Amino acid sequence: MVGQPTNHEKSPCMSVSKNITLQSTLNAGRVIRVVLGVLVSAYLTWRLIDVIVIERTYGPDTWLKFAISGLILGGLYALIAIGYTLVYGILSMINFAHGEVMMLGCFGGYFVFEALNAIPAPSATDPKLNFLNAPPVLSVILAFLVGMSVSALAGYFLEKIAYRPLRIAPRLIPLISAIGSSIFLQNAGEVMFGPQRRSYTNPVLFSRGAGWTIDVAGNPVVITYTGVLTFILSIILMIGLYTLVQRTKLGRSMRAVAHDKRTAALMGIDVNDVISKTFIISGALAGAAGVMFGIHLGIVYYYVGFLPGIKAFTAAVFGGIGNIPGAMVGGLLLGSIESLGPAALNIDFQLKDVIAFAILILVLLFRPSGLLGQVLSEEKV
Amino acid sequence: MNSKSLRNGLRSGTIFSVIIIFFFLIGFIITGPALVAKLFGIYVQQGAPPDVSMLAIFLGLLGLWAGIMAAKPVDSDTYFSTGGAGLAAGVLSGLVSGVFGYSFGTLYAAGIDMRNYLSNVSPPSVNYFIFNQAPLVGALILLVLLSLSGLLGGLLAKAMRGERRRAFSSNLRDRWANLKNQPLILKAEKFRWTRYILMGLVLILLAFLPTQIGSYWDYVIGTVGIYVILGLGLNIIVGLAGQLVLGYVAFFAIGAYAVALLNAPRPLDLLVGFWVALLAAIVFSALAGLLVGLPILSLRGDYLAIVTLGLGEIIRILLSSDAMTPFTGGPRGVPNIGGPVIFGLDFSNDIDLLYLILLFVLLAIFISQRIQNSHTGRSWVSIREDETVSKATGVDTFRSKLLALALGAAFAGIGGALFAVRNQFTGPEDHGLMVSINVLALVIVGGMGSIPGVILGSFALKGLPEILRELDNYRLLFFGALLVVMMILRPEGLWPARRQRIEKASPEEVLEPAEKLEAVPKPVDPLPAKGEEKT
Repeated sequence: MVGQPTNHEKSPCMSVSKNITLQSTLNAGRVIRVVLGVLVSAYLTWRLIDVIVIERTYGPDTWLKFAISGLILGGLYALIAIGYTLVYGILSMINFAHGEVMMLGCFGGYFVFEALNAIPAPSATDPKLNFLNAPPVLSVILAFLVGMSVSALAGYFLEKIAYRPLRIAPRLIPLISAIGSSIFLQNAGEVMFGPQRRSYTNPVLFSRGAGWTIDVAGNPVVITYTGVLTFILSIILMIGLYTLVQRTKLGRSMRAVAHDKRTAALMGIDVNDVISKTFIISGALAGAAGVMFGIHLGIVYYYVGFLPGIKAFTAAVFGGIGNIPGAMVGGLLLGSIESLGPAALNIDFQLKDVIAFAILILVLLFRPSGLLGQVLSEEKV
Repeated sequence: MNSKSLRNGLRSGTIFSVIIIFFFLIGFIITGPALVAKLFGIYVQQGAPPDVSMLAIFLGLLGLWAGIMAAKPVDSDTYFSTGGAGLAAGVLSGLVSGVFGYSFGTLYAAGIDMRNYLSNVSPPSVNYFIFNQAPLVGALILLVLLSLSGLLGGLLAKAMRGERRRAFSSNLRDRWANLKNQPLILKAEKFRWTRYILMGLVLILLAFLPTQIGSYWDYVIGTVGIYVILGLGLNIIVGLAGQLVLGYVAFFAIGAYAVALLNAPRPLDLLVGFWVALLAAIVFSALAGLLVGLPILSLRGDYLAIVTLGLGEIIRILLSSDAMTPFTGGPRGVPNIGGPVIFGLDFSNDIDLLYLILLFVLLAIFISQRIQNSHTGRSWVSIREDETVSKATGVDTFRSKLLALALGAAFAGIGGALFAVRNQFTGPEDHGLMVSINVLALVIVGGMGSIPGVILGSFALKGLPEILRELDNYRLLFFGALLVVMMILRPEGLWPARRQRIEKASPEEVLEPAEKLEAVPKPVDPLPAKGEEKT
């Protein structure tokens, strides 16, 4: 997906601005940027050599554990990041409330599990059995369906109420509206469901911590069922989305709208409809991510969407915003860096969020178009 | 009644049923009637449900609104069709809330408590929602009440429509114009000292206010004052220079921690005195603005917003991390920050601090006012309007943006320092993302680039919630909704800057009657074209 073409009215000015940029090549900002880059890479090399070669702080089993949890987290980030990227590609706006959409999906799955857990379904072998565990796979599927539908609905109405009236407004205005919706949804969650952290009731089959144990360098490494489920499902969803965007008619019209809304409308594409469907799709992906978050990490409360939302946005920017494979790669990379980073740099694990944000800042400073993004003109960045 | 009016009615009915259910789920079904009771001057204990008549009035008003909304866009404009639309809306919302109330009422009567999942759906609130009756009776009351009020709303909408409303509003406008054209007021507008006399009156009021109004209001006004300073600072960055910064709290935190660490016994024990610490806070935060700005200000729009958001979060995480605890006090923060001392006299009670805050507010207003109309201020506005054109006309955009960020950061430093000193404490919890969002929202709600707008916005967003304590639980909820609604209905803010008002207005409105132009002696900004500044 690519962004809109540059505004033609401004093109005469562009050449002038290029000349001026050339004149001030040696301005302070660039110098600072270069200095910052050298410092950062020197620090990184020093820490890496220190940890891996000199001190040998962790054994291979620990590294493997970090890598596995990083990949699982990365799958989640990738799913949320795709939502950001789809919306950004089409509307050129940051859907700030996307994390909250994910939170709603997380609550949807939670309530399905709680409801199924309350329904008894005694069998001959186990009189205490309830509906949640009687068909565990079915209840997980049901939780995903409900979570995804809740989030898809939330995304649809979010666009319809908060963004559609602002389609032609200056760029700052939809962003503020998005911030407002984010605050609204977050606090609606808090007031409705209460501020306490709740723990997800998984089916016994998928209880957290259970999994296959493999032996690495004499130490056991557990690969949890929830983690495998999360990772495989996120990969399947990503492939599905990619096929949808590349192969179907809806995907083609989405790409057309992202490229140029007016021309797409002239070609007979219902732009509003495509935008609505984009929000529905990105909402459903976020909902799936929310349910996975609940199943794998086991917490749900009103603030659960905020940090993953911001980090997924980071991932989207990392991979090149507006670019779907970029969001996937960015998400997986960000998840891995986040969980390997504190160990690799031998710093406090409390600071793992700092690493994510630092990556965001560094990427935006040195390669604003992201890893896979096309090089945008200065005007757009 | 045709199918279109029926459809409108059902649509409005759906919207209002969702609203009523949402109110029920968030517990507003008690708070709303309590507000109505407050309007009538009836005392209600906090959290306890008022008389059911208040609920009837509250729901009746909602139904009325639903009816009016339903009747709005109907083609065939008869009492029959608008009333029908209103009735349809009322019946639908009444049915939905009746079924809802009935099912929850029976659930609770059966002893099933939902509070574990829906924390605000308590047994009293469910009982109250069905008018303290049996579930079926309550549901019927809901249905009848909402249907009747919807019908009334539909009829009212027709009665208020068209000629009558136009006549009413033009009548109002005429009266306002008459009032404005009174000879006395015209003369006062012409008289050049009027402004200064008004300012003097405000100053005298400010001088006497703090000692008279009691410590609670001192606290409220102090908070509003600090947010005015923050808002004016962010107004320079966002409102004038057009750079969306979401990490404003970083500079606030630097100011607060500078004062705290330099003038508190723990963890560093420097105790350099308040005034030196305040100066250091300003300098440090301005320097931070410069340092942060150097690499990132070449980014534009959304990217800048996200980078600064990340910076703000980094600062907060660092402040609360164990690694920094020896320097910053960690999660527990810095207590016992010393107050201002002049000639050995301690000036740190609430009233003195309020005077200090007001002094800085005036200073901030003065600086903003002066710089807004200076060369720098105009180059900021040109950057906001179109950065490329601004660059092409010779504005050093990078330097201007850097200056804006440093100045705004300095304001944030002052605000943070005052905040920390007034609370005698600062900790990581004070420096969350919500500070940035609050400040940004008050700038936007007030009107970007407008100094009176910022003051009005601070009163609206920090002062009003203090007055309406009932809404405490819902403050952020309404705050978010308010942001969205403001952006849709009035994106220019409550009190827009003059320049924007001129740009937005149609030519006839600006150059209306000749005598109006005479009444204003000095010409208003003569409609500056975009990017006119050539200096």
